[in-house]
Amino acid sequence: MWKDLADLLFQAYEQYSLLPLFIEIALAFIFLAILSTLIAYSAILYKRYRAYVYEKRLAFISPKIEDMITEQVLLNPNLGYDIPLESIEFDPKALSDKIYRKPFVRQMMIDTLIQYRKNFRGEVGELLRKLYIDMGLDKDSFAKMKTLRWERKIKAVVELTQMDIPISDVTILPLTNSGNPALRAAARNAYIQLSKNEPFKFFDIATEPLLPWDQLEMFKIITTTKDIAIPNFSRWVSYSTNKSIVSFCLKLIAHYDQQSAIPAVMELLSNKDHYFRADAINCLGKLSAEVAEDKLVKIYNNQPLNCQIEILKALGRIASGKHLEFLKSEFLYSSNFDIRMNAARSIIKHNTQNSRLMVEELMEMTHEENQLIIKHCLNPLIKY
Amino acid sequence: MLRTLLEHLQLIFEKTVYIYGLGLLVIYACLALLSFYSVRRFLRKESYTDYKVIVGSELAPGVSVIAPAFNEGLTIISNVRSLLTFDYPKYEVIIINDGSTDDTLEKVIKEFSLVKIDFAFDIKIASKPIRGIYKSTDDAYAKLVIVDKENGKSKADATNAGINIASFPYFLCTDVDCILHEQTLQKLIRPIMEEENARVIATGATLRMANSCEIDKGVIIKVKAPRPLLARFQELEYIRSFVLGKMGWSQINCVPNVSGGLGMFDKEIAIKAGGYDPASFGEDMELLMRMNRYVHDNKIKAAVRYIPVTLCWTEGPTSLKVFMRQRTRWGRGLFQLMLTHRKMLFNPRYGRVGMVMFPYNFLFELLAPFVESIGIVYYILLAIFGLVNWPYAIILLLFVYSFAIMISTLAVLWDQLTFQYYKTWTDVARIASMVFVEMILYHPLIVIFALRGYFFHIFNRKHSWGNMQRRGFKPSSAAGTTAAT
Repeated sequence: MWKDLADLLFQAYEQYSLLPLFIEIALAFIFLAILSTLIAYSAILYKRYRAYVYEKRLAFISPKIEDMITEQVLLNPNLGYDIPLESIEFDPKALSDKIYRKPFVRQMMIDTLIQYRKNFRGEVGELLRKLYIDMGLDKDSFAKMKTLRWERKIKAVVELTQMDIPISDVTILPLTNSGNPALRAAARNAYIQLSKNEPFKFFDIATEPLLPWDQLEMFKIITTTKDIAIPNFSRWVSYSTNKSIVSFCLKLIAHYDQQSAIPAVMELLSNKDHYFRADAINCLGKLSAEVAEDKLVKIYNNQPLNCQIEILKALGRIASGKHLEFLKSEFLYSSNFDIRMNAARSIIKHNTQNSRLMVEELMEMTHEENQLIIKHCLNPLIKY
Repeated sequence: MLRTLLEHLQLIFEKTVYIYGLGLLVIYACLALLSFYSVRRFLRKESYTDYKVIVGSELAPGVSVIAPAFNEGLTIISNVRSLLTFDYPKYEVIIINDGSTDDTLEKVIKEFSLVKIDFAFDIKIASKPIRGIYKSTDDAYAKLVIVDKENGKSKADATNAGINIASFPYFLCTDVDCILHEQTLQKLIRPIMEEENARVIATGATLRMANSCEIDKGVIIKVKAPRPLLARFQELEYIRSFVLGKMGWSQINCVPNVSGGLGMFDKEIAIKAGGYDPASFGEDMELLMRMNRYVHDNKIKAAVRYIPVTLCWTEGPTSLKVFMRQRTRWGRGLFQLMLTHRKMLFNPRYGRVGMVMFPYNFLFELLAPFVESIGIVYYILLAIFGLVNWPYAIILLLFVYSFAIMISTLAVLWDQLTFQYYKTWTDVARIASMVFVEMILYHPLIVIFALRGYFFHIFNRKHSWGNMQRRGFKPSSAAGTTAAT
């Protein structure tokens, strides 16, 4: 039989090789297309079947895990009696159940514990962490750290961070400068949360950028994590060569109202990058840095539009009243709409007797379009 | 002598068409591979992304959502409510009443407690005059701005008016009757915020047909494959175009078009490029082309990105007449665009846009209907004169047919790999079965309507924008509400 088949194939090949080239190519493509289509349909079926099985398993395992956590942690009879956590023991029978040896279930257990820890702090949170360690799930997470796949590494970093398990500097610091942006971001966030002494140490060695998307999470972590030692961020404003780190520090300086950083931020006003200068001006405005006002007005005419607008906004935030006349002249004589709009906003923002009188005076003396700008800025219904 | 010449011509023609077809199929195969890589990369990232961080963040950039409305009185209230449900910290919704002749404006004024206000704005892009701007006195609708303007006879004109009003550095362009996912803004802003080496000037996501989905108060409750045949073909076409095509192009930064139904744009670049062109029949593609041109002329390193998540559901035409009007306009838009920007073709100054994206669109989007039609006529003539080698002809036909099936099936597979929107096997089967008949039933229509568009443009025929004649969405059975007409 095999011989017949081989003969048949040989004959088919002989026929094939006699065909013109364009037909040979077409036949090859047909074969490829049919094969790919069959594989694609099989993959669709497999994928949906796998999703179905996963759902089933999830529905079966999930209640078991939740029951176990409820029994061992939430309803633990030792809770609330000031008993040291180390001496609280879990039921060994519950922990050594065969079901918890399966990798799928162990991963689900980790995910569920993380979810619970997000909702429970204090003693319960610590007991959840103890359960994670006692079940050896930290070893699973550390094992993931050693794989080559970056998304597995990220998962490991996130798990260990959420469970407050220390990761050595030797392991985590190189990752904070990884070429992979996602891994880099996860490692940086983990470092801030886990490093007890110098959570911002990686700012010193960061050569890779801190992307705006990553800044969101890092900002949240820094501003919401308890017991984090907040340094004076002007240190990096003065010395870091990483522009994104400096830009991020400016936001943190403004958030923490670090008045001592004003001189360092003012140094940036002579930076060549106008986006950078705009960030610095924005920061000075948010810090209400009255000391910077004169310099801002002095450099105003040499700045590009984005910096000029930031200066006008800053003068409105600082609102010392010293430069109301400057704002007025910008409002009256600038041909740029955005300049006039921001000048008007800043005058109104002063909210003093003088500024109110100035607004009234401007309403009387200026032309219709400028009057409309003032009305726009005064309208409480317009928020942005 | 004449016979020899004719034979030579015949040979050249046949070889050219063959190479053309082969080239197209190879490009599609490359796109399939690129999109597979792109989709997988996206999914890996998504697996650990927590979008909640942007929801409460003061660092989130502001986004203006711009949605033009023309005679949408029947559905405007639920449409606006739907647009106000985004899960994002800093956004405004600008509805442009483009000179509606029905009660669209009156209805929104009453429903959202609107008052006409003094609103100063700079006309950075030309549009028809604005008659008034309205804001709500109710704090719950503080994000809402209604712009009442004279009818500009195009979505482009209305959107331009919205861009002039917009307060934020990014704007999302959509249609007021599209149903958007509540996470649309977070998901579309992400590629902009995480690009390392370029300024992302536009982002887009997948669109799908809302025709048979269950919808409650402007929110999709259950995704279903469309029942009407025409809508089902369109669903397959959208999946192939977005998940396979645009994801593939996105991987090499050559996205040709960000859909008018859903696209987020960098406002500064859009304004500097001149905004939407009201005279264009494919205003979305035309704007992106001009934005690309602007960034290249000004040596700005830019990117356009797509994500394979469905964030927008739109009602596709189910009547052949409306479908024909839509596709004729698209065909005309493409022809017009290629003529307007012909200097970009094979122009190395425009980088990949000039050397890859534009030539692809010219050769395989614009010329394809011509080549196909000429090929069919030629085939018929050969058949009449008994010159067809039928075994070879059938092999070549099978070649094209099997490849088309493969590409569409791969698109369905990639879609299934991303998110399994269809909950039942029957829905998947409903779409997958279209793969086999699309080429016979649907594709000829696309070719004919595209040629009709080209013809209209060449002979400057007047185009009526018409009404989409939407049939409304089926409400969720659980919600127990009546269907909007």
